[in-house]
Amino acid sequence: MQNAKDTFYVTLQSRLAALNPARTIVVRGVVRPGTLVEENELPSAWVPVNAFRLQWTGLHVNSGGPLPMVSMECSIQYATDGTSGNGGMDRGRLLAAMDAELVSALSAEPHTVPKMNYSAAGDGVAPAAMGTNVFWADPVFGAATAAEDRLARTTTVQVYAYQEAGEL
Amino acid sequence: MSDLVNATGAAARTADVLLRALGGRTVMLRMPAPAVPTDVTEQLGIATPTFQDTPLGPVVYRKARATVADAKAAKWELLVSATVVASLVGSLTYTSASVLFAAAYGVLSNDELLEIESVTQEQIFGEPYVYRLVLRAPLSQMV
Repeated sequence: MQNAKDTFYVTLQSRLAALNPARTIVVRGVVRPGTLVEENELPSAWVPVNAFRLQWTGLHVNSGGPLPMVSMECSIQYATDGTSGNGGMDRGRLLAAMDAELVSALSAEPHTVPKMNYSAAGDGVAPAAMGTNVFWADPVFGAATAAEDRLARTTTVQVYAYQEAGEL
Repeated sequence: MSDLVNATGAAARTADVLLRALGGRTVMLRMPAPAVPTDVTEQLGIATPTFQDTPLGPVVYRKARATVADAKAAKWELLVSATVVASLVGSLTYTSASVLFAAAYGVLSNDELLEIESVTQEQIFGEPYVYRLVLRAPLSQMV
């Protein structure tokens, strides 16, 4: 299931970066597209805003078929404080823009991509394609929450994949 | 007179003297190596960065005992010399102290790695003379 998580993240990140290349974050001194998986980064009390933070929260395995069917819940958190030059009055519009980017990225066809194995990938080494696909349902948007000057939303999406033989 | 104080950095030096007089000590600021932009394996948690420990001193714990709350990790307040922070920002080529502390993984004190929860600074005439770090003990030590 780790390969499915990796594949979904890389797919979502590339789609979001294509939609809005200006949405970036600085991680350890390097500018990256504004999407990250929290469990893959250094633990930090700092919450990046204007970026998408993925958490893998739910897991269900159906062993009824020839291959176990894994269903994982991906929680996508994002927040904005608005633009300081505008006194934060545009935070609603910025959150709406992030909603729209997420809808476009997750609704774009196809809703499925080949599952990739990134464990041996690196500089100049491409990930290995596996035999099955990763696919996902439509996102479910949670209520926007306001905490002081910060507006945030959590969106969940169910991600599905078949667990191949010998796969971790 | 205020211009003279500002230009000479007297406030920062005075703060250094006070920190040393209060038993100023040195801790280590643990910095991760810069990320590799083209390496997707770092973003997937497969490759991990190396770390570099940089001395940070003089520093003083504001209270001798940690702030402890039920079911929460202990917290400490650390006062850090603005002089050493300014030198680190310059030598490590960070754009500001806030970027330096945001990039840091934590503070190593008595072989214990404390996470930096927040950073504030005390200023006089627009120049910081001491930084206040709120540090959080590892969750594994929560009681």
